[in-house]
Order: sequence, then C-alpha cells, then structure tokens
Amino acid sequence: MKMMELAWLNVKSSIRSYLSLVLSLAFTILIFYNFQNIIYADTFAVLGSQNKDYIDIIIQVISFVLGCFMFFFLWYATNVFLTRRKREIGVYVFMGLSNQRIGTLYMIETTLTGLSALILGLFTGILSGTLFQMIFAVISEYEVTVGFGFEIKPVLVTAAVYLVMYLFFALKGYIEIVRSSVLEMISAARRNEYVRQRAGLLLAKALLGVGVLGAGYYLAVRKGGMEVLTNALTAVILVVAGTYLLFGGLIPLLFQNLARNKIWLYQRQRSLWVNQMIFRMKKNYRTYAMVSVLMLCAVTALATGFAMRQRYRNMVKFDGTFPFQLISDRDDLDARARELITSQNVITASSGAEVLTMDGSQVTASESYNWYILIAYPEFVSMAEEAGMEVDLPEPAEGEVAAASHLVMLSLLTDQSNVRIQICGEEYRQIADSTTPYLGYLQKEMSVYVVSQTDYERLLPLGEKRYVYNYRIGDTGAFAQTKEALDRLQDEYPDSWIGRIAVDPDSTELAWTRVIYTICLFLFLVFVLAGGCIMFMKLYNDAFEEKARYLVLKKLGFSRRTLKKSVAAELRVSYLLPFLVMAVSSYFSVHALENVMFEHLNGIRMISVLVTLAVFLVCYFLSVPVYLKNAGIDAGA
Amino acid sequence: MEEHKVVEVRNLVKNYGSKDFLTKVLKGIDLTIYEHDFIAVMGPSGSGKTTLLNILSTIDTPTQGTVMIDGRDLSRVSNQELSKLRRDKIGFVFQDYNLLDTMTLEDNIALPLSLNGASAKLCMQKTEQLALMFGLKDHLEKYPYQLSGGQKQRGATCRALITDPKIIFADEPTGALDSKSSRDLLECLKAVSEGGRATILMVTHDPFSASYAKDVYILKDGLIQCRISRGESRKEFYDRIVDVQTSMGGDFT
Ligand SMILES: Nc1ncnc2c1ncn2[C@@H]1O[C@H](COP(=O)(O)OP(=O)(O)OP(=O)(O)O)[C@@H](O)[C@H]1O
Ligand SMILES: [Mg+2]
Repeated sequence: MKMMELAWLNVKSSIRSYLSLVLSLAFTILIFYNFQNIIYADTFAVLGSQNKDYIDIIIQVISFVLGCFMFFFLWYATNVFLTRRKREIGVYVFMGLSNQRIGTLYMIETTLTGLSALILGLFTGILSGTLFQMIFAVISEYEVTVGFGFEIKPVLVTAAVYLVMYLFFALKGYIEIVRSSVLEMISAARRNEYVRQRAGLLLAKALLGVGVLGAGYYLAVRKGGMEVLTNALTAVILVVAGTYLLFGGLIPLLFQNLARNKIWLYQRQRSLWVNQMIFRMKKNYRTYAMVSVLMLCAVTALATGFAMRQRYRNMVKFDGTFPFQLISDRDDLDARARELITSQNVITASSGAEVLTMDGSQVTASESYNWYILIAYPEFVSMAEEAGMEVDLPEPAEGEVAAASHLVMLSLLTDQSNVRIQICGEEYRQIADSTTPYLGYLQKEMSVYVVSQTDYERLLPLGEKRYVYNYRIGDTGAFAQTKEALDRLQDEYPDSWIGRIAVDPDSTELAWTRVIYTICLFLFLVFVLAGGCIMFMKLYNDAFEEKARYLVLKKLGFSRRTLKKSVAAELRVSYLLPFLVMAVSSYFSVHALENVMFEHLNGIRMISVLVTLAVFLVCYFLSVPVYLKNAGIDAGA
Repeated sequence: MEEHKVVEVRNLVKNYGSKDFLTKVLKGIDLTIYEHDFIAVMGPSGSGKTTLLNILSTIDTPTQGTVMIDGRDLSRVSNQELSKLRRDKIGFVFQDYNLLDTMTLEDNIALPLSLNGASAKLCMQKTEQLALMFGLKDHLEKYPYQLSGGQKQRGATCRALITDPKIIFADEPTGALDSKSSRDLLECLKAVSEGGRATILMVTHDPFSASYAKDVYILKDGLIQCRISRGESRKEFYDRIVDVQTSMGGDFT
C-alpha cells in the first residue's frame, strides 16, 4: 500500500510529463483502433464483397504499418520517460529503497499510465469510431450509411496488441532499473556526452552517408523494367541508412567546422547555441534522423494517395470514354446503332475507323494480348478528330509504330525508350506511347498500334479487316436500358460478326482504390503529428538538462532576451535540420512515384512539404516558451 | 587619492525569512570602493560575505539601504537597465568556476563579449590578449573537463575581464584551488589591478589570498569590524591579517 501511495504521489507531482505520455499513447491507440474498427464493422460490405475484401487487405497492411509505428513510438516514449525517472532514482536510493522496490514503483507508475492511456484511447476511439468511418467514407467518396454499431472485436484486438507491446517495454524498463547500480543511475542523468567527436570518424561517416544517400536517390529515380521493384526497396533502405549517417556524420562535422571558424561563431548568439547543438548532437542525431524519415514517409504517403486518386479518376474517365463500342466485319452499322442508342439516350460524341486485327501469335511485344489492333495513321487521325480528341502521336515512318495504350494503377516498366515489337516476323520500333483513349475500352482489352499507311497496306492480307464504332452517351443513368436496346443489333444481323463492348461509367469495379487515398491521407497526418510530437518531447526533455547551464548564464548577467534569442535559434535549427533533409529526399521519393504512376506529383509534394513545415512551425512556437520554462530561463518551472 | 567611486554602499541591511523567523544577516554596512581598488572581504562562515556580494552584484536585493554602482542607485533602475548594468559594468568570478562544459575555453572567454554584440574580430583579439596574460595561450582549444582547476579559474577570470567591467566580484576564487594554483591566480589578479584594468572585490576566508589585496575588510556579526591596509611588503601584511583574525576569535575557515 505504501508503494501505491508513493507511486500516486509521483504521478501527482509530475502530472504534466505523465499527461504528455498518456496523451501520446492514447493517440496511437485511437488511430489503431479506428482502423481495426473499419475491418470489423461491416460498413463497407455494401460495396460488394470484392471491394470489401480488397479494403480489408489494405487495412490489414496499414494496421501492420501502424503496429510497427506504435511499437517504435512506445519504445521512444517509454525510453524518454525511463531516463527522466532514472534521474529521480538517486533520491529514492538515499531514502533507502532497494532496486527491486524502485523497479516495482516504476512498474506501478507505468501500469497506471499505460492503463489510463488504453482506457482514454479506447474510449475516445469508440466515441469517434462512427465519425471516423463517416469521414473515411466521405473522403473515399463511398455512398454508405454509417450506423452507430459497436463491435467488441476491434476493442479486444487493439487492447491486446497495445498491452503486449507496452508490457514488453515496461518489463524492459523494470529489468534495466533492477540491474543498474546506484552510481550508474545517478550518472545516467548527467552522462557527459563526448563534446567533440573525432573528426576522422565523422568524416568517414559523412562520406559514407552522402554516398549511401546519393545511391539511394539514384536507385529511386532510375527508370527500368522489373528491377524497379528491387531498386525501390534498396533505395528505401539506403535512404533510411543514409539519413542516419548524414545526421551522425555530415551534420556534426559541418557544425564542428563552423564552430572552428570564430569569425562566424562570434556573431549574435551563435557561440552559445551552436556549441550547445554540437554538444547534444551525439545523443540527438537519432531523433533528428527518425523524425526526418518519418516526415519523408508522410510526404510520400500523401503523394501516393493523391497519385492513386488522380490515377483512379483518370482510369474511370478512360473506361467511360466510349461506354458503347462495336467491332465488326461490316462497315454499315453506324446508322442503325445510332437509332438504337438514341431511342434511349443521347450521343455526345462518336467515332469510327477501319482497323486491322491480329491474334496473339502474330505479334510479339513485352506485354502479350490475345488480340492486337493495327491502324493506319491517316485513318487514326480522322477517327480522333471525329471524336474531338487531340492527336498526340507523331506519324510513324515505315518500320515504326506508335502505341495507344491504357492507364494502369502503377507500372514498374518505367523505361519506355527503345521498345521494339515484332509483327509477323518483322521488327518495328516504337516511337511514341499515348494513353489518350482514342479507342476507349478497346485499348485496354487489346493492344493498339498506329502504323504508317504503307505498312498497313502491306500487312492487310495477314490480318482481319474490322470496323470499330465508338459512342459516348449523355445520360449515364439510362445505361442499362440503352445497353438492352443496342443488343438488338446483333439479332438483326445474324450472319455477321459483331462484338459489343458496354462499360458502365458508374461501375464500382475500382472503388476499393479510393480507400488507399483516404488511408494515405490519414497516414500523412499521423506521421506528421508523430514527427512533431517526437521533436517536441525531445526538446521538452532536453530543456531540463540545460537548467544548470542557463542558471550560470543568468548569474553572469545575460538578459532573458539574449538567452531567449539563443534558445529560439537553437530550436529553429533543430526543427529545420530534419525538415530540410526530408525536403530534399522527398523530391526523389516523389519522383520515383511519378515514374511508376505516370502522374505529375510535384504540386502535391510542395503542398505536403508546406503542411509539414506548418506543423513544425506550430511545434516550434509551442516549444520555445516550454523550453524557456523547463530550462529555468523563465520562472515557474 | 580621491578617485572615482565605483561602488558606494550606505547602511545596507539584509534580512532573510518572515516576521516570525527573521535572520538578520547584514546589519548596516557602509562601504566605498574606488577605481583601481583591490579589496578583500574576510569573515567567518555564515557572516554574510556571499550575501553582500550577491547584493552588490545585483543578484539579490537589499532589505534596506542604498547601493550605488558607478554612480547609479540600484533601487532606482528598471529591470532591463539592471541587466544592462550587470552586463556592461560587472564581471563575476565564482568559486566553482562556472565555465560552460559545452564549449572550449576560448569560446567560454569570448562568450560575454560576443553575446554583447561586439565584432568577432574584437572578441578574438581580446581573448588572445587575456589568454596570454593569464598563461592560457596553449589551452584555448580545450574543453573545461580537460583543464585543471587553476586553469579553469584563470579562464573564468578572463571571461569576467573581457567586457572591460568597472568592477570584478570574486566569491572565494581560490576556494577550490591548491596553493600553487591559488598563487598563480592571485598574481594575475594583482597584475590586473596594478595595470589599472579593473577594480576587484574578492571574498575569501584565507588570509594568504587576502594578503594580495590592497585593503582587507573584516565582516562579522553583520557589520564591517575593521579595515586593514597594505603596507610595504605582502609578508608583513599577511602577518597583520592573521593577528587581527586571531584577536577576533580564531580561524575563519
Ligand atoms: N536564501 C536564504 N534564505 C535564508 N537564509 C539565508 C539565505 N541565504 C543565506 N542565508 C543565511 O544568511 C547567512 C549568511 O550566508 P552567506 O552565504 O552570506 O555566508 P558566507 O559568509 O558567504 O559564508 P561562507 O563563508 O560559508 O560561504 C547564513 O546564516 C545563511 O544561513
Ligand atoms: Mg559564501
């Protein structure tokens, strides 16, 4: 009972540091729970089991990512907490408490904080669960009604995952306390960091870091074929390692050299804060690197989300270009088809062309299709103009082709130069590639190549001549009736070969991809907030360790204004360093994304970098007064 | 030698605690320090030496009485002016050096001047000049943990001198030093004083240290009991201080 009282007293006396721990833990629980909740609550079942399955898989993957995130966050938070506790342990030792009892005290305290975080996290999670699902549905553009259901399963899963991790770290702390000696514990509080690190070692680290990071950047943006996937994975590892090495080597090296240049150093408050930064660098560089990587993840996640959404919209638009298409050996179907369609709908655009079809055995290309379509360039141009589309393919010469392909979510074949195909044993060089839906859905079902008039005529006897009819409709709501009407056409020409393609523009086939966008958006927020939080917590704790130094400075007569300026400069640089490294890295990560998704993402990269900057600015402005207070520069700590 | 008054204290009273539990530490001190003085204040432990120094150096405030530094009444200046006064007119040397462990000795010495906005060139020049004078030329690159106590204290003295203060307050500067290091430091202080660089007020309980000063004041029971001035030789001065100390009831240590 005595221990409980002592523990409770501790909690009460340093309520603010407990509160920050509880709140940050509760936050991760809240996020984790809400994603679990989406799996178990059947809100998205109405999108069809196919979509629901995809969404569940995606969320499982994200849960795993969030689980990892939770693990590291718990590790970090409990570690910060443990070091602070350790500092106070000396007092207990002199009170005559044994290591075991101090450990027990720590366990009681961590259990109290852990459980209250769990309760708070789950409680807010359950309260916000419905809201979260609604927001989730709105951003994903799903028309589902979200009910106030409550499922026990996500609560149990969240609690189990969290408790296992938390218990692990609590036990780790307990063992650390029990096994440490008093002397160690007291000196843990003011372990003297190596003031200046060895220049040779730093230089080696710096060179290695720049090399590794450069290699990572290079691999990330290099175009290629299937090796792009391995390249991307290697790039991720290299960039993470490079970031750590950069903060462990280049940046301290830079600062140390700056500090040697006294003309630079003895200006404004630099001699104070630059030295302070160098002094802490050895201990802090991991945090800087971690925050930088976290921010990079955030920006990349957001860019991915936007790219996915952009891609999805374009794909839907692509598929819906010509909801009705006919392909036949007859060239006189247009009038009747129009009659049938207009009996139910309006035609807003149309086109037609003569094409040459070949089967899969006649053509060899990197992607194999059952059917290939060849179209002569003049015919192609007139078809495009008929539908009001701009021609973005150059005229192929003899022996050349221009591909009219379709959009894919992402493609690892990022290198489109120097592609060659074989048609009936002859090699053709691909000079261009367009994803404009000249032939609508047909471009997705078959591979379409534009060839020169001469080649076309030469190849004509080797394939089948066909006529393609494309129709766009004005009233997508009357799709089903229109389709029914058009189907009569095939009965009217029983002896002819008529293929009919009908694509519902309102189809939900790809609906699951929209969830990725929403998840990416949430991940962005979670990562950015976590990065800001970690930085804030780090500075919050560092400030206590600076107290003695600032006391000396105050005694020496430096005004609050001077000290505040120095602190502000130090914090500014602390936030800016990981941000700048992230901003540079993000250029390459987003560029890599642009390569596989064929979208322009620089705009969204700028926006997400700016949002990150804004979050950091807020954290910075919050940090300054807190730091001043904790470091004893402002009274009241 | 009627010179410029750097510090003037009139009827200084300092009490600690509340009405029920009052500690009267200083009971009416009168003290005038002229430019280029080198004064040592001695007294038994708990006699209020540090308290006096803290009040003079504006860290603490008096209960009663006036303190004038360089002609300005401390009770009549705003907080902002007070820190400006502390910054420009006063230099501090503490018993435990209080060098910042985050920076080299060179940066430590230059710190006050550079934070005051002096040009980097000037900071470097003065640091070098002072280091030469205090025999620290070869140690500028080192961090405090790589220096001996004596070197640290001489460094701290350089730091106090770099802003060309009107007066230096030193609280037991030799308190943590061995006799050799003490002597080195005191020789330096004496040189500073004789070179006319600064006025020095040093608190000490060690008669040997005090004998380097020009005048010694004995503080006891909250009052300045007597003043001993230096004569011809330091040895003779030292003997007189010890005599007075003995007559007042033993060792001050
Ligand atoms: N903040 C305070 N509150 C209450 N009493 C104080 C405070 N500071 C000092 N005192 C008391 O004032 C008296 C003088 O203290 P002071 O530190 O000035 O002594 P000192 O002469 O410097 O002694 P020493 O030679 O041991 O350093 C002591 O009795 C001390 O207990
Ligand atoms: Mg004292």
